Amino acid sequence: MQWINLFRANLRKEYLEMKRYLPNTIALVLTFYFIFLGLFGVIHFFGDPSTQDANIQFVIVNYIFWFLALSVIQMFGFEIVNEAIRGTLEQLSMSPMGIWRILSTRLIASTIIYGIIIFVLLIITMLTAGQWLNIDILSIFPIFVLTVFGMYGVGLMVGGLAIVYKQIQAFLQILQFLLAGLTFIPLAASPFMYFLPFVIGVDLVRDIMIGGQTLIDIGWLPLTILFINAFVYFIAGLLFFNYCERMAMKKGLLGQY
Amino acid sequence: MEKIIEINNLTKSYRKRKSKEVIQAVKNVAFNVYKGEILGLLGPNGAGKTTTIKLICGLLYPDSGEIKIKGIPNTVRRLESLQHISAVLEGNRNLYWRLTVRENLEYFAGNRGRSRKEVKKEIDELLQMFRLKDKENELVNRLSRGMQQKLAIAVAMLANTEVLLLDEPTLGLDVQTGLEVREILKSIVKNYHRTIIISSHDMDVIQDICNRTVIINQGTVVIDQRVDELIKLFEVRSYRLTLTEPLSLDQQKAISARFPANEYVEDQAHSYLTVQLEKSEDIYQIFQVLQLNRTPIDSIDRKAIRFDEVFLKIIQGDHQYAMD
Ligand SMILES: Nc1ncnc2c1ncn2[C@@H]1O[C@H](COP(=O)(O)OP(=O)(O)OP(=O)(O)O)[C@@H](O)[C@H]1O
Ligand SMILES: [Mg+2]
Repeated sequence: MQWINLFRANLRKEYLEMKRYLPNTIALVLTFYFIFLGLFGVIHFFGDPSTQDANIQFVIVNYIFWFLALSVIQMFGFEIVNEAIRGTLEQLSMSPMGIWRILSTRLIASTIIYGIIIFVLLIITMLTAGQWLNIDILSIFPIFVLTVFGMYGVGLMVGGLAIVYKQIQAFLQILQFLLAGLTFIPLAASPFMYFLPFVIGVDLVRDIMIGGQTLIDIGWLPLTILFINAFVYFIAGLLFFNYCERMAMKKGLLGQY
Repeated sequence: MEKIIEINNLTKSYRKRKSKEVIQAVKNVAFNVYKGEILGLLGPNGAGKTTTIKLICGLLYPDSGEIKIKGIPNTVRRLESLQHISAVLEGNRNLYWRLTVRENLEYFAGNRGRSRKEVKKEIDELLQMFRLKDKENELVNRLSRGMQQKLAIAVAMLANTEVLLLDEPTLGLDVQTGLEVREILKSIVKNYHRTIIISSHDMDVIQDICNRTVIINQGTVVIDQRVDELIKLFEVRSYRLTLTEPLSLDQQKAISARFPANEYVEDQAHSYLTVQLEKSEDIYQIFQVLQLNRTPIDSIDRKAIRFDEVFLKIIQGDHQYAMD
């Protein structure tokens, strides 16, 4: 029950702040709309050779994937830095729920809000373009959830760094490029890839969208590996975050920016 | 009396970012806070009040020592101990400026796992009490500093915890708003059974609201005493003698030699000598000096002493005999 109330409070706060910072929100929505429209325009322009179509669809799904993963990774860090600037970080740390729980519900809330915005925009774009994507949502969704869960572990690590160092913007920028790079490397390139976050998920989505596979074709093994990968990242992230929080308490950094 | 907070041997130092210089902010601090008590944490700038409060709130981790909140060690079982504590920290940056008054209250209650419905009545009550009802839908960045401070206190009240900590609740407010906040604090004391710790360097606030005071100076506790006793203690030893003849220079010297902190003034009809005595018997030493010239005494009064004078004396190191 406490979790639910915590989640509802943070969902409401996210919604209210999006409403109060309306220009930002509108800019975000428009950006998505135009990017989607542009991607569809490319499909339209090149006509409709079947292979290209699959590629474009993959690019769109990958883009959404990449955006959500990135926002999950960055949000923890951004929120912590923002709260520190506003001076409310200490207030949050005094809640018996703990910072990581509060920020986690905020993260889930904003992922849901973004998810809805993106979903609606995609449909609107498809309407405007008169082009319909043929996406196997049922297969992609579980992979998506697991991948984001792993990214969330990475996000916790970034949050831990933010709580101690505060100035992490430059680092986040680099991370963004690294992540974009990971999108293009196939899993088969090296067994080492299995240890990275994000790569397994993207690879499975590629199998589904370009290889035309379903979850059943993929089978249990890759999904289990994906799950273990995500889970390990989550646990490691949580441990690291708590370690950093304690360090910040030792050095008196919670109230500082 | 039930101990709500136990502080033992608390030490905390900071390392400055650039110079790496170590600052001992709190040294071996120990005191208890009892159920239902209003404790004033008093001390000059940089004494270590905020550091002590943040240590109690679990925002800082001590170098050594221990704090127990209702018997729960607050570093080992931090989140559990926080269930009994809420605090208003220094300054006005502890609210969400882009949310309204009511939204702030609801949000912070939500962060403690309480639903909007559950707290609705309590919020209405608090808004009434803090006279913020007509501002409930105003964004916080539109409020005056005083209203923001009142809201911050309301947010802490809404947590419904046994212990409430307030760091400099009247700092930076104008006289009138300061008094209003003080009235609100008094009505909290009267109407809600909370254990409260207020830090301040405004002696008036402490004298007005608190039962007991812990005075810290340069990171150590120099006094831990009931406010009324503390004043009495100093009052007893502060005498004002009205003399019908002026003191000779020799007499003045003799008195200054024995009581450096004396004050001596003359007017047309009388002269007045104010002295602080370490022991009541010391008054006889004064009589001895007066006897030299057979200076007649018109009256001897215990001087009514203000709390801020007591505070100043303690901070100036005049406290050794208040501790015994
Ligand atoms: N984060 C910090 N880093 C380094 N030094 C600090 C930090 N916070 C406080 N100090 C130092 O520790 C000492 C105690 O500070 P503290 O804020 O606890 O005093 P205070 O009694 O609250 O003073 P004030 O009345 O000014 O609020 C001061 O010398 C202060 O400069
Ligand atoms: Mg302070």
